[in-house]
Amino acid sequence: MTQTALSLTAVKRRIRLSRTLPFVVVGLLLALLLVFFVLPVIWLLLAPSKTAGEVVRDNPLSFGSFHQIGTAWRHLFAFQDGAMVKWLRNSAVYSGGSLILTLAVSVPAGYALALTNFRGRKTLLVITLVTMIMPQATLVLPIFLELNRFHLIGTIWSVILPFSFYPFGVYLVYIYFGSSLPRDLLSAARIDGCTEWQLFSRIALPLAKPVVGLVAFFSFVGNWNNFFLPYLVLPNSEQFPVQVGLNQLLTSTPSFNPVAGAGLNVTIPELALAIIIAILPVLVLFLFSQRTLVSGMLAGASKE
Amino acid sequence: MTLLETERVAVSPLRRGTTPRRKARGRAGYFFVAGYALLLLAFGVFPTGYAFYLALTNDRGQFTGLNQFVKVIQDYRFAPAFTHMLVYLVMWLVTLVVLVVLTAVVLRGRVRPGTSALFRFLYYIPGALAGVASVLVWLFMLDPDVSPVSWLLTAMGLKTFAAALAPGNLPLILMLIAFWTGAGGWMVVMYGALNNIPDEVLEAARMDGAGPWRTAWHIQIPMIRQWIVYMTIMAFATGTQLFVEPQLLQTASLGRVSPTWSPNQLAYVYAFQQGDFNGAAAISVVLLAVGLLAAGLLVARSNLFKLDEK
Amino acid sequence: MGSSIAPRTGRRHSLLRTAAVTLSLATAAALAGCASADTTTDSSSGQSAFKPVAQKEGSQITVWADSTRLPSVQAYQKSHPDVKMKIVTYDGGADGSTYLQSKVQLFDRTGSGWPDVVFGTPTDVTWASEATKPGARPFAAPLDEKLVPQSTLDGFAKGSLTPCQFNGHTYCMRNDIAQVLLWYNKSLMDKWGYKVPTTWQEYEALGKQAAKDHPGYLVGSVGDTNSHESYFWSGQCPAFSLVKPGTLRTDLQDPKCTRMAKLLDNLISAKAIATQGFFSQGFAKNSGGKVLMAYGPSWYGQYLFKAGFKTPAKQIAAAPPLTWQGESTTATGNVGGGVWMVSSHSANLKASSDLVTWLTTSDENQATAPTYPAYTQAAKAWLANPANRNYFANDVSEPFQQAANEVWTGWSNTRFSDSTAWSSVVLPALTSGKSLTETLPAWQQEIAGEAKTQGYKVVDQ
Repeated sequence: MTQTALSLTAVKRRIRLSRTLPFVVVGLLLALLLVFFVLPVIWLLLAPSKTAGEVVRDNPLSFGSFHQIGTAWRHLFAFQDGAMVKWLRNSAVYSGGSLILTLAVSVPAGYALALTNFRGRKTLLVITLVTMIMPQATLVLPIFLELNRFHLIGTIWSVILPFSFYPFGVYLVYIYFGSSLPRDLLSAARIDGCTEWQLFSRIALPLAKPVVGLVAFFSFVGNWNNFFLPYLVLPNSEQFPVQVGLNQLLTSTPSFNPVAGAGLNVTIPELALAIIIAILPVLVLFLFSQRTLVSGMLAGASKE
Repeated sequence: MTLLETERVAVSPLRRGTTPRRKARGRAGYFFVAGYALLLLAFGVFPTGYAFYLALTNDRGQFTGLNQFVKVIQDYRFAPAFTHMLVYLVMWLVTLVVLVVLTAVVLRGRVRPGTSALFRFLYYIPGALAGVASVLVWLFMLDPDVSPVSWLLTAMGLKTFAAALAPGNLPLILMLIAFWTGAGGWMVVMYGALNNIPDEVLEAARMDGAGPWRTAWHIQIPMIRQWIVYMTIMAFATGTQLFVEPQLLQTASLGRVSPTWSPNQLAYVYAFQQGDFNGAAAISVVLLAVGLLAAGLLVARSNLFKLDEK
Repeated sequence: MGSSIAPRTGRRHSLLRTAAVTLSLATAAALAGCASADTTTDSSSGQSAFKPVAQKEGSQITVWADSTRLPSVQAYQKSHPDVKMKIVTYDGGADGSTYLQSKVQLFDRTGSGWPDVVFGTPTDVTWASEATKPGARPFAAPLDEKLVPQSTLDGFAKGSLTPCQFNGHTYCMRNDIAQVLLWYNKSLMDKWGYKVPTTWQEYEALGKQAAKDHPGYLVGSVGDTNSHESYFWSGQCPAFSLVKPGTLRTDLQDPKCTRMAKLLDNLISAKAIATQGFFSQGFAKNSGGKVLMAYGPSWYGQYLFKAGFKTPAKQIAAAPPLTWQGESTTATGNVGGGVWMVSSHSANLKASSDLVTWLTTSDENQATAPTYPAYTQAAKAWLANPANRNYFANDVSEPFQQAANEVWTGWSNTRFSDSTAWSSVVLPALTSGKSLTETLPAWQQEIAGEAKTQGYKVVDQ
């Protein structure tokens, strides 16, 4: 199928055909998916503008008032003396710290796996793939016991270190370098007298920008949203990241926990607001990294 | 057995280049992977070994052979939990692969780039709500009293939140949640993979008289097969880890969802309610074995490691 | 059944021969061997006298409380500024949460980190009074061992400390009791000329009557996580009955269970009792104003009618628990009721015990507590507090006190929550239209299954 390679640009657009039936099918598919993906988000954005009663009584997609958003905001941040702020800060520290470590460790590792040769490389590659596929949740318990042995429980390292181990990131880098950095280029540079370190820092690293964005993105999102590990290794609610905090809010919402949540101001609007605030950093990150995401892939292709 | 072949494939290209400075490169390789290898040992290999150790011993450290496995498999909650997971996985993987690939192809070939970018962005947004947030949102979506699609729920005969959470609906609900948060991201990745295909290839197909659907089926999809397999594996791995979602559904539904709905929850109950860390490890090892078996087959079949060969 | 795992493991081994050396060399060798040791060891036996850890006078104590009880702890800190305290909020074990238990399991393995004082549920005491693994000490300190005077312990309402007692020791102090009684809307009852029922038979008759005269009005709900405690506990159904330690009797075919199931089924089909829970999301909106009667705990008044349904003041009244016609024994159920425990690992047992005593028994704290105090003296102060009674249409003291003394003790505090089986098996069945009577066997089976995994011997006689 690839025998005749014609060098033409901007062919993509011509591939579009304008037959009616496929158009309807395509339109319907995209529209249904759009409703499915977007409707809950719209509901979520509108919920904090209403009182708990209005959320139940009024049109689900109606807007309440800005005043009510302020009220929900005050209720939410008054919860346990501003626990929400602490949780957000914790999340930032955990996700940010492990992101830096992840990048520092996985970019060189992915590079080495793809473009250097050393004894044990094959084994390392397979173990990486295996641990990547392995249900991580099943390892949380032994990891806890291990962290305990090194007296790390309750410290930020008990979250940051396990978060930093990110085989998926290594694998992404490995795929990227394997497909986008021609080995001939490295060989040529070696002949020119570059050291291995220079090869990495001068040639590979500048090229790695897109994949760094990709890894950073997946790592940050994954760690920001991680629940199980911090839920278990952090005994103190002051140390919770926001995801675990959301769980605490859930159990404090009267509609979900009539006994424990009674008497508190945290109801559906506050919970919805908390969700929005909790996901905001990830959302913002996506706005900025979408270009990186796609161009990362494109860069891989243009190097072929 | 099959994995070994792919490993050979993976390694073969590297054996070609025997340069004078091979030793230096070897040392450099160690240097570059050192940090990662350390983390891998600490948080991948060691905990796995420890899980095996726990699964084969009792709480006094005495060797118990397969007895822990026999014990957990005979538990009356074991079969239902694994059945739930299996039903969920089948639904989730089929839906994911079909819809993600279809949507990516459509967005790549049949929609104006600007529109396509907008759609990808909108589809992706829910990805930011993964984990706890997504479950909370869907709790509201499934509650006829607050849901914006309550008419749909009512039309389906689900007049109350409790009815919506009927045990038979759970795999579907969890599938919806997983798809809502996960599919958009994979659509972006899949779109990127499609973008990787050189325009010349598509043009050649067009010259040969292939329509967009045939091009997709015969050229685009085979060329991104690696990514599809990759997605399937990752989705499978996530699927077997099902914990937060049913756990939160259990909390929010005030217990209508069984606390041992998924195998991971069962392991959790074993460890933290029954204080039986060894039994919990046995369940983990079973999960691990299931996951590795399926992943191994997929890896072998798809020649995922062929990437090295170019 | 063990054989089903062996080929799988073997296969995995061959699949990853090169890679997984680290993981499975030991495994392969191990699997080949034959095993003799038990899979678990019994850790609960052999309780010796309580030996406190080294005490450090004036050291800081860590307190874990739920959000409802948080203000009480903060109030203590304010009035006792010399006590060094660290207050942490958590879910308080609500809805069968096992958070505290998980954490203690982990602390037992780390050997540090235990909170000094915790608020929890009676279920929490079952595991806290036992060691989580061989060699560990039970989490809860026996309070009767020179920590709290016996006279204080004697001051609690009859039976309210039963969930705290194991092996002849008292491991917790009850914060509140949630005795079940009959709630009714006095305004509606008066308007329609109904007489407040005193027996279950009258309750059933009135329910049918009301459903016929005023369709949509309800005399109760069975759809909440704890409805079984309101009805089956009150009906003295032997669902969770520890005949001796380690042996659980669960017999849902006992006439006391079947007659209650039949009664509820009749009222459900008459549409007088809802299968949707009082606390479910839409109930307040759709039927909140149509609750003529409710059979439930003492906190229904404040939490359900006032906060949940927003029923105006001076409409809701309470009546004593119902009895069965022709039977002299009165019994009622209990829905919740938290406990305070002191950690046996605490280095400041004195401050910890003082705090727990203050929280549970002092009028200062309990008179304004959100729930009905378990300590008899404090309960009187609670009832005397106008804030706790002005909302109601009658004097609730009588029914409250009577019900508090009638809680049936045959519904045991087991190592597993009694709500799980009810919520995950019975409620979905009811929602799908099945009757309670036909769901009883499945309920019993689930209870028995849970009990067995928790190491109980299960009998049905």
